[in-house]
Amino acid sequence: MKQLFTALVLALGIASTANADYTLVVPQKPGAGTSVWAQIVATELEKHLGEKIVIKHIPGARDIPGFNEFHNNLQQDDKTVMVSHGGNGVSFLEEKVDYNYAEYDSIGLMNLNIIAGKRKGDPMDKVRFASGSGMTPEALAMTMLICGPDKTVDQYIACFKEHVTWVNGMSGGERRLAFKRGELNGTRENPAAYKKHVESDSNAEVWFHHGILDANKGTHSDDPNYPGYQFEALFKKRWGVEPRGDFYNAYKLAKSFRDGLQKALWVRKGNPNTEKLRQALTAMANDPESRAKIEKDVGQYQWLIGSAGNGQRDALMKLITRQALSDLVKFNKLALGLESVFKENLIK
Amino acid sequence: MVELGIALVAGLFYGLAIGIIPAAGATTGLVALYGVIPYFLDYPMAGVVFLMAVVAASTTADSFTSILLGIPGSNSSAATIVDGFPLARKGQASYAISAAITTSTVNGLIWGILVFLFLPYYGQVLLSLGVPELWAFTVLSLLTVGFVSTSNRVRSLFAIAAGLIVGAIGVDPNTNAERFTLGWMYLEDGIQLMPVVAGLFAIPELISGFKLTPAGRVNAKENQQQVLQGMKDSWRYRWDSLRGGAIGAVVGLLPGLGGAISDWISYASTVAAHPTEKFGNGNIKGVIGPEGSNNAQKATSMITTVLFAIPGAPFAAVLLGLFMYLNFEMGSPDLLNNIEFFRSMALGFLVATVLVAIVSYLFIPTISRISQVPYQYYFPILIVLIVWSCLQYTGGWEDIVMLLIFSVLGIAMKHFQFSRPAFLIAFILSERVENMTIQITSLYSVADLLVRPVFLALIGIFIGLLFLNYKLKLKIDYS
Repeated sequence: MKQLFTALVLALGIASTANADYTLVVPQKPGAGTSVWAQIVATELEKHLGEKIVIKHIPGARDIPGFNEFHNNLQQDDKTVMVSHGGNGVSFLEEKVDYNYAEYDSIGLMNLNIIAGKRKGDPMDKVRFASGSGMTPEALAMTMLICGPDKTVDQYIACFKEHVTWVNGMSGGERRLAFKRGELNGTRENPAAYKKHVESDSNAEVWFHHGILDANKGTHSDDPNYPGYQFEALFKKRWGVEPRGDFYNAYKLAKSFRDGLQKALWVRKGNPNTEKLRQALTAMANDPESRAKIEKDVGQYQWLIGSAGNGQRDALMKLITRQALSDLVKFNKLALGLESVFKENLIK
Repeated sequence: MVELGIALVAGLFYGLAIGIIPAAGATTGLVALYGVIPYFLDYPMAGVVFLMAVVAASTTADSFTSILLGIPGSNSSAATIVDGFPLARKGQASYAISAAITTSTVNGLIWGILVFLFLPYYGQVLLSLGVPELWAFTVLSLLTVGFVSTSNRVRSLFAIAAGLIVGAIGVDPNTNAERFTLGWMYLEDGIQLMPVVAGLFAIPELISGFKLTPAGRVNAKENQQQVLQGMKDSWRYRWDSLRGGAIGAVVGLLPGLGGAISDWISYASTVAAHPTEKFGNGNIKGVIGPEGSNNAQKATSMITTVLFAIPGAPFAAVLLGLFMYLNFEMGSPDLLNNIEFFRSMALGFLVATVLVAIVSYLFIPTISRISQVPYQYYFPILIVLIVWSCLQYTGGWEDIVMLLIFSVLGIAMKHFQFSRPAFLIAFILSERVENMTIQITSLYSVADLLVRPVFLALIGIFIGLLFLNYKLKLKIDYS
């Protein structure tokens, strides 16, 4: 009851942003996927950090402006932490952005997977799929599944245009409703959202998933939550050979950056609070109650904290090759109609 | 039980305060609650009651500011200004507020009961509407600009065109390329609604307020008579009230349209329904028409939010996150079987709707006296509150720049009699119409569309509306 009274006093006008010690910068509006995740993490992390955390929302197109603002101005504040998501990883590869993962220290990140669903029984030779931020890996994967092995990038692009209706201009909510209504026959979600929106739909089933990244080996393994549906396994089952070639390398690059950096916390290099934050995050990740709350939002996936997070980032950077990156950009431009740019500076 | 009661009362008064703060509203009020919600973890049902009471109370209370000050209490109560503020200027503030509160309460109760009583059964209805029907409804909504335009056709067309262009600022949905941003990255996400509404409607009225003499004093007995008359008139013009509620309910069902449009559509429909009457100078039907829509919209927005975890409006997106924190997973089969959860939602929304009406009726005569106080006494407070409201989303200086730009635009539009409502509707729907058009042309052929009866019916109404607007030349005296 005492807690309730405290809540009511707070609710009746005490601004929660007052006396904040740490700020999590989220590149989205309140209520969006990563905003909700960040809010849960902030509340749980506070318990172990012993200091108040507030969320600062800096939304913008494809969630880029918030991360740019962190890079250009906010990172100098020792108590400001950036929250990024997989879409930022894809944008980093193929768009003009100011931010650069190589310049930050990882506090921790979650290595996640994205699950694609389809209408039950649909052979998926003609796909109707909504576009959206960071959905390039799904487009690449479905192209290979439909079109088969050993084609040039140009042939894959032509095949995509013939077989896939890529619907622009849909919000996440519209996409989910359109899939439930059958207007779209394919969709994709993070694991927790997949359970909520697709698994609960008796007319839907798993189509494929991208697998769990082992960044050090540059490979993906099957997701124990959806065994047997990893893209590579399905491709081999359908076409009798392992996926390979330039187009596949472009796909691996895109999905690794998207899923390997799905939910991540960053501070500037040399931030004196880095260790304190990492320790608090470690304590939070080991706290069953906190873990349960976060897993409810995103599913049961691994936290990579501190140097492990930096290691993941460094391993991802090594996956960038000229050929893979240029093919990815080419596919984005010619198949998806996006204004992607080839960034020479990313090639080591 | 005690904690539920305390949560209800707390939500009621917090929502009342948020509703009265200029340009704030349910979304703003809920965003500010993220720091508070963990305290409800031990009393999750009290949390549900609290949140629903905040939504219900803030939605009803936003009429006060719109009517008394001529500035929107929230995005979804801007239309109430058009006829509500002139009534307040004529010393009939209590009459206008009473009519607004009664209409809001009745529609809140009707749609709240319909939603919460039958919530689990709406899924199939919702799934029967597809992209074509949503496209037709969106275009239909855009046509309402014709009914809120001024008598000067050229200026009205200019306002509509400007709204469409400003609404298209951001990125091209087909290419993700920036569009009309002048290289400013902030604009790539489009212009936020809050600074636009506040700039167009709030600041110009505040500036004009300096020139206005305070409204004449009204004695206590007269005030009471006005309150009673407001209640009577909201019954007398019940069809305008119910039509507004029904429009709000449909808008709430369609994810993406948002409450900021429902009150204008309802207002436009009221104007269209009374072609021989003047609006914009204090016609009570112009208050009753739009006032029920935002309460109904809030109620029906809960349907997609609860059934599918798909927010029906911006406030519902924030609510979804808050519910998740209380361990209520929207859209899950477990939740749909959780009777206690639905009871708490209904309790919070419906009881708060009734209580806020009672509190409001009690205080109408007192609060109405604000219209008798010269603006300069509370001008600084209002400016601070408007700026605070505008900063609740991105928190950046850019929002203040936008507020300034749209304030200048709002003052100019008001002075030169360009329709601000037409600009706002076009602005809000611009992106939506473009996106829906991309969707319908990607997924449907003409032959597909010709076998969809709801779509065809909406197109029929669409053509009828165009004809009606051309024939009747309906215009309002408000710019």
